[in-house]
Amino acid sequence: MGTAVAGFVAFCVLPLAYMLVQPATTAGAYAALLLDARQRVLLVNTAVLGTGTAMLATAIGAPLGLMLARGALPFTPAWRIALAAPVLLPPYITALAWLYLGGSAGLVAALTSRDLLSGWTYSLPGAVLVLSLVFYPLSMLTTEVALRRIDRRLEEAALIVASPGRVLRRITLPLVAPSVAAAALVIFVLAISEFGVPGLLRVRVFTTEVFTAFAALYDSGLATMLTLPLLALAIVIAVGSALLIGDRLLATRRGIQRVPLAFTGWTRLTYGWASCVLAVALVTPLAVLTREALALSSMAGILQGSGAAIRKSLIMSVVGASAVTLLAVWLGYGRARARRRTGIVVDAVFLVLFAVPSTVIGVGLIGIWNRTGMFGGIYGTDAMLLFAYLARFLPMAALALAAGIRYVPISHEEAAAVAGAGWWRTSTRIVLPQIGLALLATWTIVFILAFGELGASILVAPAGETTLPIRIYTLIANAPTAHVAALALLQSAVVFTPLALLAVMATRGTR
Amino acid sequence: MSEPFLRLCGVTKRYRDQAAIDDVSLEVAPGQSVVILGPSGCGKTTVLRLVAGLDHPDAGAIWLEGRQVAQPGGNIVPPHQRRLGFVFQDLALWPHLTVRQNLDFVMGSVRVPRTERPERIHEALALVRIAPLAGRWPHELSGGEQQRVAIARALVGRPRLLLLDEPFSSLDPDLRAVLREEVQRLHRSLHLTSVYVTHDREDAAVLADRVIEMRQGRTVVDRDVSRERHA
Repeated sequence: MGTAVAGFVAFCVLPLAYMLVQPATTAGAYAALLLDARQRVLLVNTAVLGTGTAMLATAIGAPLGLMLARGALPFTPAWRIALAAPVLLPPYITALAWLYLGGSAGLVAALTSRDLLSGWTYSLPGAVLVLSLVFYPLSMLTTEVALRRIDRRLEEAALIVASPGRVLRRITLPLVAPSVAAAALVIFVLAISEFGVPGLLRVRVFTTEVFTAFAALYDSGLATMLTLPLLALAIVIAVGSALLIGDRLLATRRGIQRVPLAFTGWTRLTYGWASCVLAVALVTPLAVLTREALALSSMAGILQGSGAAIRKSLIMSVVGASAVTLLAVWLGYGRARARRRTGIVVDAVFLVLFAVPSTVIGVGLIGIWNRTGMFGGIYGTDAMLLFAYLARFLPMAALALAAGIRYVPISHEEAAAVAGAGWWRTSTRIVLPQIGLALLATWTIVFILAFGELGASILVAPAGETTLPIRIYTLIANAPTAHVAALALLQSAVVFTPLALLAVMATRGTR
Repeated sequence: MSEPFLRLCGVTKRYRDQAAIDDVSLEVAPGQSVVILGPSGCGKTTVLRLVAGLDHPDAGAIWLEGRQVAQPGGNIVPPHQRRLGFVFQDLALWPHLTVRQNLDFVMGSVRVPRTERPERIHEALALVRIAPLAGRWPHELSGGEQQRVAIARALVGRPRLLLLDEPFSSLDPDLRAVLREEVQRLHRSLHLTSVYVTHDREDAAVLADRVIEMRQGRTVVDRDVSRERHA
């Protein structure tokens, strides 16, 4: 546990602390920056991107959550996995697909011989739409879980006196509203933290300017200052959502219980809405990428040219997912067994750290490790990629595993202790076997996220070394679209293969 | 004999191929207080859920005031049209509504004009002696106060039938005795027809005009105790 906490402080807290105590960010310099009209545009763009994405993703996802929890959709588990899949695609892959569809040289322009959509594609509303299509599953899953967690007697007590419609409006929806709002806040944070989508769609926001200041202008002071408004916004929103959702953040789904308020007459509407969302958010991007990639004469050349990046991504993602899961299980254990108030504070800390934008983490890691001496020996190696993955995904993994561990009653450990088992034996023989699926799910999700990580990796990757996301991002401007589309499809395949395996195992596990 | 207020005729309910209640028949006269007594898992709560319309019978039929409300495979009359009051075992107070709003939701549902609602809510809360707590949230109340709110909420819509599912099971013995007396007082003053489910014989002794004992989904004893109690 001590090692896990030390690792958490070193990899997650220190980069953030470094940004907050930077001498470059003097009050005078900062005031001058804020007075700059261009910075106000950045602030407005960032706020619109976050707010618009949170609202649109909630408008798409929350009804789907209601339909999954209460509608009569056949094959609900399969629909759930398919509808959740877009959130696991790296956002820049989805943006790339929309560029190939609506860009000035895109599919629509080629088919109509007119550039109808590029003005809209390369715009703030375009970025809002793409990010909403990526993040709506968060709202959908949160809404579904919140609906399943409602004590059925609360609805039954209302059904004794009120019609189902009135119960839905006055009892059910108000009970899930805090969870839906918290999910919207998390989506807001993720949207303002996103680097790849606004970068590709040429929308100027803080994350892209941080990258430009650091990587193009070599002005680390400006980069650091630009991270602060973003960081402040992320912290405020993350604390707000932690307070809003409170102890419920760790709640696990209850066992299958009969739903008192089911809307069995909604089948056609549910099918229609779910099919539309799936077609726009998943099928269209993959179809567009496939069409572009089909122009390629040979896949072998692509694999040869990007082989090193693919290998590096696979190896680092496996190492990263393993390291994150190993540390997260102990952090999660500490959180799961904490007192209620301590737990809410820990949740808030985890959420704040998860909300730190990827480019901010990158700048923080460089600030800490790019120096002479022992640290300098580490900087410039692949360890920096591992540190980036730990900084980005450890808080989220700890939260996920805490939810799984809390499902194991404390009495199981007490019984083992009374029977004479020590801490290690109790952990390995009693606790961990009961959260096997949660461990596997966490590892898989972190692997997928690490495999698609771009914002921090692009800043901390050693010179001359590259991962697949970095290679795709840098090839976009310099290589034929077929080449880039093929790599993007390859990345999607790597993301979806473990997801499919996990889904199969989860289905077997619930039988 | 007058028309029974509530009638269950050969009612069977199965959950996963296991009969929760099996061929249960009973009649409740208007104004009668019936206590269904039995150990955990004997099917007594299932009887209440079927009467309320929260479940439907697999066999048999249910009548309320001479009107059939349920048949095998489905409910003919949905729960909210049966004009019932239900006190759940875990009370099920809506946590996002204050005490007043909990009662107001019922008033709105049974279409009481807005102008009449404050008085009716005050009346119901005064009846269970918690009128000053109207503005509180459920989590701000003690166990006994929450119990009274649940009873007030069940009564405020002026139901024709009151169903109580072990409402005092989580209370300490002293508070339990106090609230038991309160419910008995309300039953008499309001002339309510009620069905009360419990595993506690003391509850039955105080509250029942009639005791029905259940074992393994069937009624095994049906005893009129009103004369014994009044003797």
